[in-house]
Amino acid sequence: MSAPWLVLDRVSKVYGDGASAVVAVREVSMELQGGRFVLLMGPSGSGKTTLLMLMGCLLKPTRGRLFLFEHEVSALDERTLPFLRRRYIGFVFQTFNLFPALTAMENVELALNLKGINGREAQRRALALLARVGLRDRLHFLPRDLSGGEKQRVALARALAGDPPILLADEPTGMLDSRTGRQIVELLADLARVEGRLVFMVTHDQRVRDLADDILFMEDGSLVARESAGDLRELVSRREGR
Amino acid sequence: MVSLARKNLFHDRVRFAVALLGIQLAVVLMTLQIGFFLKFMTNASVLIDHIEADIWITAKNLKNFDFGLPFSEQKLYEARRIPGVLWAEKFLMGFSYWKMPDGGQETIQVIGFNPETRIGAPWDIVEGDLDEVKYFTQIFIDEADRERLGFPRVGDEVEIIGQRARIAGITRGAKSFVGSPFVFTSFKNALKLSFIPPGQTVYILVKVAPGYTVQEVKEHLARTLTGVDVYTKREFSWKSRRYWLLVTGAGIALLSTALLGLLVGTVIVGQTIYASTMEHLKEFGTLKAIGASNADLYRILIAQALIMAVIGYATGMLLARAFLNVARRAGLEAYLPLEVLAGIFGLTLLMCIGASILSIYKVTKLDPALVFRS
Repeated sequence: MSAPWLVLDRVSKVYGDGASAVVAVREVSMELQGGRFVLLMGPSGSGKTTLLMLMGCLLKPTRGRLFLFEHEVSALDERTLPFLRRRYIGFVFQTFNLFPALTAMENVELALNLKGINGREAQRRALALLARVGLRDRLHFLPRDLSGGEKQRVALARALAGDPPILLADEPTGMLDSRTGRQIVELLADLARVEGRLVFMVTHDQRVRDLADDILFMEDGSLVARESAGDLRELVSRREGR
Repeated sequence: MVSLARKNLFHDRVRFAVALLGIQLAVVLMTLQIGFFLKFMTNASVLIDHIEADIWITAKNLKNFDFGLPFSEQKLYEARRIPGVLWAEKFLMGFSYWKMPDGGQETIQVIGFNPETRIGAPWDIVEGDLDEVKYFTQIFIDEADRERLGFPRVGDEVEIIGQRARIAGITRGAKSFVGSPFVFTSFKNALKLSFIPPGQTVYILVKVAPGYTVQEVKEHLARTLTGVDVYTKREFSWKSRRYWLLVTGAGIALLSTALLGLLVGTVIVGQTIYASTMEHLKEFGTLKAIGASNADLYRILIAQALIMAVIGYATGMLLARAFLNVARRAGLEAYLPLEVLAGIFGLTLLMCIGASILSIYKVTKLDPALVFRS
C-alpha cells in the first residue's frame, strides 16, 4: 500500500482565544489516499468547512499535525501555502465562485496561468478541460449566460487546471437541481475511481451516498463515525432484500 | 496571462467611468495649473533669460526685473574698465502710458536697447526691420499684446505720454510678466517715451571675456562698483522668479491648486478602487484558494491602477489641451515642456498606485472562509 496523501494527526482548529474561544475542529485524525471518493457529512456548524479549509491549506491548524504529500503543512509559513495549493489542490465551491468578467475559457485559463502555464498551451489545456466536462460549445460564454450545472462544470474544469491530485468540494450540489447535482457528483466520483485522484466532498445530500467510497460523519468538530463502501453496499442490498 | 484586472475594470463600466473622471479631473487640474505656473515663472524672467549677458548690474536692493530703478550711467564706464569684461552695455526699462484709441491709457514697459549692437533687443521678429528703431520714435510691440493695445498694425502712429510713436514691427515671445506690454525701442527713443532721467541707466549688461569665469568677474565688479548690486544671469533670473513665486504668493496659489487636483484625484480613484475591491472580495478569496499568492493579488490591484492611470492620463490630456486652447484665446498661456508632461504622467501613476494601497491592505487581511460562504 502506498503512503497516504493527506494525513491529519489530532488536528484542532480554535477560533479566538480565552473565554470567547470556539473549537471548530477537535482532534481529528485520518489518513486519505488517492483513488477514493470521500464524503464528509454532518449538521451545519459541525466544523466540516473548517476541516476542508485545513485540508486545502487555507488555514493552519491550531494544534496537531497535518501532512500533505509528506509536507508538514502545520510547520510551514504562510508564504509556502499558495505553492502547495497550486501544486496539489483543486477547489470546487457551492456558489461556483467563477469570475463574472471572464468567459468559461478564461476562467480555466486564469487558473492555469496561476500554475505557470501560459499562452497557447494554457488555451489548449483549458479547451481540453472544458471539453472533458461537456462544455465545448460554451467556451466563450460569460458565467451569467450559463446554467447552474454549466457553471459548476466550469468550476470543476478550473479545479482540474494544473492536474491536481486532490479535489476538495464544498457542497457542490447545493445550488443545483437533483438531476444536475447527481451528474456533477458522478463526474467527481469518476475523477477518483478512473483517474486515481482523491476527491473529498462536503455534502448534506443523502442521495449521493451510494457513489462514495467512504463517508465520514462530523459533529461538534469531531469525527464521530465512518462508513466504507462495503458497509454501504451491504446496507443498501439488505434494505433492497427486505 | 488572462488580465483579470483589465476584464474586471471594463466589466463594471459605470465604476470605471467614475474612476476615469476622477483621474481626468486630477490630470486637467495639474496640467493647467503647472503649465500656467511654469509660464508665470518663465515670464517673470523672460528678458533676462533671452539676453546674452552673463552678468546684470542693478540698482541696490532691487526686488525683481520689473521693478528696475535708474542709477548713474557712470557705472557703465567703470564696469568696462574691469578686467574680464568683454563688453558692457546699458539697458533701459521704464513704465509709461500708451494712449488707447478710446482715449483711455494702458501702462506699458518701455525697453531701451542699443540698436547698433542689438544687445537687449527682441529675439524673435515677426514683422518689420529692427534697424528702424534707430529713427525717430519707432517702436516694436509683441504680438501677444496687440489686442491689449487696441490692435495697432505696423505703420500705425500711436501716442505714448504725449509723444508720437510709430509701430515699426512686431515681436514674438516677449510678453511681460506683470501684464504691462513691452515696447522695444532705442535708448534715445526710450528716454523720450518713458520717465527715465537722462544720464541714467536701469541695468548694465556685462559679457565675460574668454579666459575668465563669470563668478570671478562678478565678484570683481561687486567689489569695485558701489551703490549697485551685481548678479549672474542665473541669480537675477531666479531672484525675479522667486519674488513672484514666494514673496507675492501668486505662484504658491497656482501650485496649491495643482496639489488640490492631485489630492481630489487620489481620493476619487482610491474610493473607486476600494469599492471595486470590496465588491470583488470573494473573487480575490477564490484566487487565493486556487493558488494565488498575496503578491499575485497585489499585481492585479496594481495593474488595475496602472490601466486607469494610462487611460485617465491620455484622456485627461486631451481635455487639458482643449481647455488650454480656450485659455490661449483668452490670452492665458501655459508652458508645458515634454519633461513636465512626463512628470505629470509619473504623478498620475503614483496617484493611482497610492490609491490602491488601502485595497492591497484589505486583500492581505482577507479571510479565506469567505470563499465558502454562499
